[in-house]
Amino acid sequence: MDARTNARSPGAGSGEIVVSHASVGMFDRGGKSLQLVEDCSFLAERGLFTVLVGPSGCGKTTLMNLIAGYIGADAGTVRLDGVDVKGPGWDRLMVFQETALFPWMTTLENVAYGPMVRGIKTMPEIRAEAGALLERFGLGEFKNRYPRELSGGMQRRGELARALINDPLVLLMDEPFRGLDAMTRQLMQEYLTRLFEETRTTTIFVTSEIDEAIFLADRLVVLSRAPARVAAVIEVDLPRPRRFEQLSSPRYAELKEQALNLLYAEAAAAFEETGAGADIKEAFERRHVAD
Amino acid sequence: MKSLATAASAPSATPAERGVPLSAGIRKYVHRHFDLVVGAATLIAFFLAWQFARPLGIPGLSAVEPPTKVVAASWDLLSSATFWTACYKSVLRILAGFALAQIIGVPIGLMMATNRMAFHTIFPVTEILRPIPPVAWIPVAIIFWPTREMSTVFIVFLGAFWIVLLNTIGGASTIDESYRRAALSLGSNRWHLFRYIVLPATMPSIVTGMVVGMGISWEMVVAAEMIASDTGLGYLLWQSFEINAGAQVIVCMLAIGIAGFVSSALIGRVGRLLTPWQGRR
Repeated sequence: MDARTNARSPGAGSGEIVVSHASVGMFDRGGKSLQLVEDCSFLAERGLFTVLVGPSGCGKTTLMNLIAGYIGADAGTVRLDGVDVKGPGWDRLMVFQETALFPWMTTLENVAYGPMVRGIKTMPEIRAEAGALLERFGLGEFKNRYPRELSGGMQRRGELARALINDPLVLLMDEPFRGLDAMTRQLMQEYLTRLFEETRTTTIFVTSEIDEAIFLADRLVVLSRAPARVAAVIEVDLPRPRRFEQLSSPRYAELKEQALNLLYAEAAAAFEETGAGADIKEAFERRHVAD
Repeated sequence: MKSLATAASAPSATPAERGVPLSAGIRKYVHRHFDLVVGAATLIAFFLAWQFARPLGIPGLSAVEPPTKVVAASWDLLSSATFWTACYKSVLRILAGFALAQIIGVPIGLMMATNRMAFHTIFPVTEILRPIPPVAWIPVAIIFWPTREMSTVFIVFLGAFWIVLLNTIGGASTIDESYRRAALSLGSNRWHLFRYIVLPATMPSIVTGMVVGMGISWEMVVAAEMIASDTGLGYLLWQSFEINAGAQVIVCMLAIGIAGFVSSALIGRVGRLLTPWQGRR
């Protein structure tokens, strides 16, 4: 646990995820088969913050569920440190879109849950550790409150604490800041960045917000329209520690332009295929011409 | 209804009364406690109508003993052992039937919601039996169970059982998938999933089932006692009717109403203890 509570050397104790040629399909209600992820390969390198971006509905969440082990791949593999992922496990912990803190447990009980069910320590030890972690996450006063009584930002921090107490090798975050107000969202981005820079736990983060993506990422994996494949990988070479001021740097603007162009191409192609959203495409084109 | 009109409108009064301190005070009081004043006025009107139903010739109400006689009768009844024995018997039956409904209904519901095989095995039987009103079971219950006491408890049990079962199934089968997934990721085994996720997530629905089930239990105990028993409040109520003791009938009705109210409040308490994370309404 000391590795968690103290800053540790970059990448130590964190894992590496390799997704290779993964495909996931499902049947829709009419019995028609639907491809969600197709021949998708990417690498979430040890100690790096990898962000998946892609047009909405492209299969980002499916990909995350695959890595978490909630669903299986029809073809291809997901490996954690060279070992096939076969189901959910505490070595890859997920922070969900909407908070999944258990409403019937206090913040402390939520954080203590993982160590408790795994039975790795005595209950007093676990409680002390969970309490210390909550203190560090600024939730010390709220440890005996139920999630309902916390603000959105506090809930997300509580969920981060619930994952990190287990020392996961990989942290999976599926649009975790969706639904937060703009101010809280920015604070949480800053908070997560500092936390990551301190712990260097391999993180895979899904978002559809391009600013959030670039601010957080070491590496941006741009996904294609559905079914999800990797359209491009962009190395975000902005220096760490990250500061919000970097969002106005020329390099940032370049990266954003590069990512947006890729995303736009995918979105436009998706509209052409489905015929939906032609108005959005037109608006986007007009904006682009004006640039 | 004349008395209601006067009671409600008198204090809010005519402009001529303005400036008189006492009437101003009353006006202020009425304004602040409008709901209380109207409620009290309605009650007073109701009791007056009831009391003077016979001289006023109000249809229906005039067939019922007036409140003064009911009060007198309740004095007699409340000081008799018969009444308290009846209360005791009914409460015992409620407790037994209600507790059995929880002990049997909740586990079966949880099993049906979490195990497909169990669901498809039990569901057809419940779907045939459930629409039958528990009261319709009374003759069969009398034949089936060796004692009248057991038959009565069985009817109470049936009344609460279906609602407990349905609520438990409903609650346990609509648990948010992300809770289950989070628990699995964090290292839960099947027992942990049941104990820390399924059970607490279903608890609010179980509590709802308890509250509704308690109400139905009282309905059932009264019906069953009227037909199948020779003790209890339901029996006493019917007996009072048969010996033409009208005031006593009313007292029994009120006693059953109060008992139902008190037990609902108690169940509400228990429910809040079982689900401390839920907000108060």
